[in-house]
Amino acid sequence: MWRYLSAFDHEPVTFAVFSPSAPEDNDPPHMAEEFISNDPGLAMVHVGSICEMADGSLVASWYGGTREGARDTAIYLAVRAPGESMSWSRPRVIVNRGSASKELHRFVKKVGNSIIFTDSEDRLWLIYVTITMGGWSGSSLNVKISHDGGTTWTRSQRLTLSPFLNVSELVRNNPLPMKGGGFIIPIYHECAGKFPEILWIWGGQGDQRITFRKTRMAGGRSFIQPSVVACGSGVARAFYRSCSGDRVVAMATTGDTGAAWSEPQNLELPNPDSALNALLLSEGRILLAFNDSKQTRNNLRLAISHDGGATWGRVAEIENSPGQEFSYPYLIRSLDGRIHLVYTWRRKRIKHVVFNETWINAQIEKASK
Amino acid sequence: MVAGQSIVGLFRDNVGGWRTTLILGFLAALIVVIPVGGFPLGRWLISINANFSIPLTALVFSKVWENASHIRLLDRKAFLGSCIFGLTAGLALYPMALGLGRFDPYKFGWSFSLLFVLLMVITVILVFVKNRFGIVLVACILGYDLGLLESPNLWDYLVDPFFALISGVMIGGLLIREIRSKKSLSHSVSWATRAEGSMR
Repeated sequence: MWRYLSAFDHEPVTFAVFSPSAPEDNDPPHMAEEFISNDPGLAMVHVGSICEMADGSLVASWYGGTREGARDTAIYLAVRAPGESMSWSRPRVIVNRGSASKELHRFVKKVGNSIIFTDSEDRLWLIYVTITMGGWSGSSLNVKISHDGGTTWTRSQRLTLSPFLNVSELVRNNPLPMKGGGFIIPIYHECAGKFPEILWIWGGQGDQRITFRKTRMAGGRSFIQPSVVACGSGVARAFYRSCSGDRVVAMATTGDTGAAWSEPQNLELPNPDSALNALLLSEGRILLAFNDSKQTRNNLRLAISHDGGATWGRVAEIENSPGQEFSYPYLIRSLDGRIHLVYTWRRKRIKHVVFNETWINAQIEKASK
Repeated sequence: MVAGQSIVGLFRDNVGGWRTTLILGFLAALIVVIPVGGFPLGRWLISINANFSIPLTALVFSKVWENASHIRLLDRKAFLGSCIFGLTAGLALYPMALGLGRFDPYKFGWSFSLLFVLLMVITVILVFVKNRFGIVLVACILGYDLGLLESPNLWDYLVDPFFALISGVMIGGLLIREIRSKKSLSHSVSWATRAEGSMR
């Protein structure tokens, strides 16, 4: 009872908003591309995510195997030390079905989506999907923490988030840090219903237990894989992948740090039932990486909104090649102001594109001419 | 254990006794550690369902105890109370938790909420009317407070899909029996009335 009543003590949470400053006038446009997963030995790689450590090094995670959903899939990690001349380290496995089974003390058929991020103490968090039975709808989420930049990891901890055999909880997009510690992580459910949710997670320092809870963003069978952008201390906008026949990106807003969300509203941007990712830029602008089609994932474009997501203008084309797949974009902004985009490149490699806001502004100018 | 006792019951009038129960307990423990596909059998069960709810555990324990000692820990009233609770909780939770509508009742289990107030009211009423299922609900609250199960959500201490299913089957069985007995009663009453009429 005490544990239950002590929930009253929780401080009201707010987002730790990092409002990016406008680029300086002498900052030249910059755009560079490289592959993270240089090893083409794997038949399939997918669902990349990236984060920055306090020393400026970048860490990326993704999963790969003979095919999506194969039993030999594993979650890989690569590190890029700070500096223009540095390259990505050779990818190494941090979780596979064998290690996950051992650590979770239960059968794991395969592993899947993961996201990687750092907290205020520069620890790396990995949240990843395991499947015990069935396909993606039989997924559960797990968490691991590294105190040494990804060299060693704590044992996996299962997150019980669903009352029905704890199935069908998946993760895809960036977490939002909360003031005072902890994260708000957009997740989603896709067994029977298909809907977006929020995972609230705290703790993990020293011997402190990881605590968590979950709230729902919307119901029904239409929207998954929310990408959430904090625009103020309690205000955020979520952009959804569409599973409905409408095949357009949808948006919802919150004014109470994610506790309640507005009904999703369709935007003008198309969505071929594929992941998208949003990032806050200077002057309240929002950048969106998405597949600009209702049918295919054969292009990857950037769009920008100056009015909190209501209207959008396309600014740049990152990829366009008929018959190929470029999908699952993931955006972060590093401490030096550069924007890092990782995405699945033809299902063969994870690609890393880095650019700055001056480059985006130049693209906007080019598009307006 | 309950299944083992039922199998024993096929061959003997007395399913229990401490000796039989201890042998069955030993066999059950052995079955749990038998490796299947490189995993102990018990871990396969945990893979699908990490924990059973406290009421289902209490029902199974009560049945095993009853078979072993002929002492009923949960009497018929408590058994009926737990089945009604399991079915109601299951119907309230699972359809909506799987996406029927926008409302998510599972959220009430994360922190202090109406669920806790409701649980306290039900527990107090059951204890007041001397229904032993009230003690099981007290055990749920204590178990939650001690963090006995993997889940930090109160709902998972109160109900699980197997408990809801078993409760539904039990309530369904009771209702069918009730309807049948009413029918046979009305049939025998009308037969008796007719017989009385023909005798006149």
